[in-house]
Amino acid sequence: MISNAISIMIAVPLIGAVLAFLTRSRGQARLVALIASLVPLALALQMYTEFDKSSKLMQFVESYDWVPSIGVRYTVGVDCISFPLVLLTAIVSVLVVIYAWGENHRPNQFFALLLLNEVGVLGVFTALDFFLFYIFWEIVLIPMFFLIGIWGGPRKDYSAIKFFIYTHVASLVMLLAIFAMYFTYRLPDGSRTFDMLTLLQATADKSIFPPSLINAIFAGLLFGFLVKMPAFPFHTWLPDAHVEAPTAGSVVLAALLLKMGGYGIFRVILPMLPHVDKAFVTVIAVIGVLSIIYGAFLALAQKDIKKLVAYSSISHMGFVTLGAVAFTWLSIQGAMFQQFSHGIITCALFMSAGTIQHSVGTRIISELGGLADRMPKFASLMLAAFLASLGLPGMSGFVAEFMVLTGSYPTFPVYTLLVVFTSVGVTAGYHLWACQKVLFGPILKKYLDIHDPHAYELLAMSAIVFLTLLFGLQPALITDMMGTAANQVMEPVVTLSQMGVI
Amino acid sequence: MDLGHYAPLGAEALLTAVSLLVVLVGLFTKGRSSLPGYLSLAALVVAMWMVLTAETGTVFFYDSLRVDGFSQFFKAVFILVSLLVVIASLTRYNGRVGGDEYFALLLMATVGMMVVASAIDLVSLFIGFELASLSTYAMAGFDKTKKNLEAAMKYFLYGAASSAFMLFGFSMLYGMTGSTKIADIAGASLAQFNPAILLALIFVIVGFAFKMALVPFHMWAPDTYEGAPALVSALLAAGSKKMGFAAAFRVILIALLALKLEWYMAFAILAAVTMTVGNLVACWQNNVRRILAYSSIAQAGYISIAFVVLGVASEGMTGPNNLPLDQYALAGGLLLVLGHAIMKTGAFISTAQVASIAKNTEDPDDISNYAGLGRRAPVTAFCMTIFMFALAGIPPTAGYFGKFVVFGSAIYGGLVWLAVLAILNSALSLYYYLRIISYMYLREPAGPKVSESKGYVLSLLLALIGTFWIGVLPDGFFNWAMQAAAALLP
Repeated sequence: MISNAISIMIAVPLIGAVLAFLTRSRGQARLVALIASLVPLALALQMYTEFDKSSKLMQFVESYDWVPSIGVRYTVGVDCISFPLVLLTAIVSVLVVIYAWGENHRPNQFFALLLLNEVGVLGVFTALDFFLFYIFWEIVLIPMFFLIGIWGGPRKDYSAIKFFIYTHVASLVMLLAIFAMYFTYRLPDGSRTFDMLTLLQATADKSIFPPSLINAIFAGLLFGFLVKMPAFPFHTWLPDAHVEAPTAGSVVLAALLLKMGGYGIFRVILPMLPHVDKAFVTVIAVIGVLSIIYGAFLALAQKDIKKLVAYSSISHMGFVTLGAVAFTWLSIQGAMFQQFSHGIITCALFMSAGTIQHSVGTRIISELGGLADRMPKFASLMLAAFLASLGLPGMSGFVAEFMVLTGSYPTFPVYTLLVVFTSVGVTAGYHLWACQKVLFGPILKKYLDIHDPHAYELLAMSAIVFLTLLFGLQPALITDMMGTAANQVMEPVVTLSQMGVI
Repeated sequence: MDLGHYAPLGAEALLTAVSLLVVLVGLFTKGRSSLPGYLSLAALVVAMWMVLTAETGTVFFYDSLRVDGFSQFFKAVFILVSLLVVIASLTRYNGRVGGDEYFALLLMATVGMMVVASAIDLVSLFIGFELASLSTYAMAGFDKTKKNLEAAMKYFLYGAASSAFMLFGFSMLYGMTGSTKIADIAGASLAQFNPAILLALIFVIVGFAFKMALVPFHMWAPDTYEGAPALVSALLAAGSKKMGFAAAFRVILIALLALKLEWYMAFAILAAVTMTVGNLVACWQNNVRRILAYSSIAQAGYISIAFVVLGVASEGMTGPNNLPLDQYALAGGLLLVLGHAIMKTGAFISTAQVASIAKNTEDPDDISNYAGLGRRAPVTAFCMTIFMFALAGIPPTAGYFGKFVVFGSAIYGGLVWLAVLAILNSALSLYYYLRIISYMYLREPAGPKVSESKGYVLSLLLALIGTFWIGVLPDGFFNWAMQAAAALLP
């Protein structure tokens, strides 16, 4: 195995970003982007073959002194919680580059920003030092700001600035919580550390972290992650950002950036959950349930297909929140799988919306109809994506949501049933309704001369649909890791009932 | 006389000599030679080397100047700023009539600032202040446009008033203690409280607050930074303003240590108000240089947090890794000074570039002239963007690391409210920085691509390297700042 695999994984897209920025033509820029994003994918696949799925320990760890005077180290590594997301990032980044192959508006900057984004996201998922983690967490905002702002729709200025400020404020609240941990805890030799695992372990010590402090820290971190997810009622930046962003930007945003919030929940929130006020459990669960139901109903009301997908993201990410905090082995596993699965499916959804926009010129559902007639290949892929998203058995979305709901029932029977009886029907409804309106029925006259999109767009979408089926039929490829991760999270406490929550 | 003894002051001597030489060169070439600029550049490079390698810990001229780690740090900052400004000025002023005077004044201003950094006597401190101020008053009106002259006049009047306040405070201290030496004043029993001492403290703080542009003594700064030639604004905001901090750290921390409780309160209020007002007002501005001016005021507020922490830090309080809290806080302040000097110089030089592109418009610094700059002047726009993110405190840049240490020291000192306020302010500041960025990249350009001046570009790239260097590999700078802080603190 290549040593320093993770560092290489982060460094290659970074170098690629600089090179792509300096290129003069679209051909060069996209080639650089493709190569620079294929390297992390190759490394991730190589790591997958060597990854010990049954181990609860960090693997591929690298650690170097960085700013020793204040206890900052460059520490990266992956375990069963983070590795699936690293894999997801590597896959999605390549597919996004392929999908955006035809971008001709300032292509060098566009591909450079996509790569920079990959750097940030990979960094977030692998960093094991809070200082480093925060840096990557913030780096991500910059490419996204420009992706929305330069390539976005009519209200791009407003959306880009809103996105940046909203999520940056949330990050700062998170940073305050990180500060609080850093400033409270000392290593046995009296020095300070930003090491995530050490600090998280330390939060269990009531003599160092009194209840009021730990609750405040927890609330700060939780806020940072819920905004990023985004969960109701902190979701308002998302529809703006999504609607205005270019397709590739929306894909990255939904497939990767939202996962950072979910990752924070698993990496940071769950290990602290047993030590904080038990009321938090209920609050988080309610937020999750509201996100699921509210997101679904909002999606139902949308006229713009991209907005529909954006709100459906809020709904689907609610499953992550609910499953995580239900805190059973199955629900945690399901929530983690939902992160992965939604990351893939949402790519196809946003690509569908984007392709419709490129080919037809509008995304307003009422102005569309019968596209399947002229775009049969695209239509089948879009239909597959929408079916995956609504949770059709045999596809990854079903497995994930099924696991969350089954796993959450013992903990929150009422909430779970509420979700099942309200949102599941609505979700199926708006997905099918959108597909029916857009794809089927008689072709409108004005669309007689449209045709199937470019091969690269179809290639990216097909790859995703394939992955959706692959993980839907053979979830063990990745759920093995999540099972271990769930064990790892639950090991110290086992269940909420043993924690005294329910 | 043993000249070797004075070697640590070599940088000052060199710059003084070269500034006179530059005037002579101008005299004999009727101001048309391009020698002055290059001479100044070379002199500054050598001076930087001399400062960094100078032997520290010695005092000169009957205990009025002291070369120590603290003065070394500030001198390096001042020379760095001057160096960046000189590089950028080469195209603008070199080889033109009056260019020789410009460079001579710039070098003299630098010498003045360096004297302030080493002064341990109130008289030499004041002389340094006046040397730097008089030179920069002249520079502020250098292009002799109406705006220039107005800016220079405002700067001069406020500067003179602040000097008067400061001098009055100094004279009271002298009257009460019988000495102008900072060490003697610290030794005298100022702790016996009386109204005269309080008055002296108020005058000294007000005098310094003018120089540092702390709210409510900041009024002159936006007008001056807006009206002066952009490169001079860079020197003012990044250099001469820091001179106020150099002096304030020494005088207030050392001479007035006995009055800690009083000035701690004053700075807590000044810091809180300064960063909040600076950031809020910046959001309203449409002139980029005014935005930068208010951002600079806000940054002065962040730096002032160091004073507040120094006020509460008592014996035995520690920061991370058992570093003494006072040293840690001061080091943070110094890092912010260094980072801000680099980023602000870069930002103002960028505005100079834009102004040279948009010189025929009504207000060349209006934010509308930044529309599409990313395509019209890609290097300038890129550098400006990084400076904006850095000033806002986005990692991994100098701005983030400096803030990290200063805000952290506030938390260690139990001033959580101040740290929270500062962080909220940081978030607020993002709005106006993003606004400039969004104009540069998200709007359609108003004109064709232009060729960017080489001098500006070189200087911007150097500042860019500095911004990332401190942010990515902060350890060396942090240790340097810690040593500088240790040299000042007892």
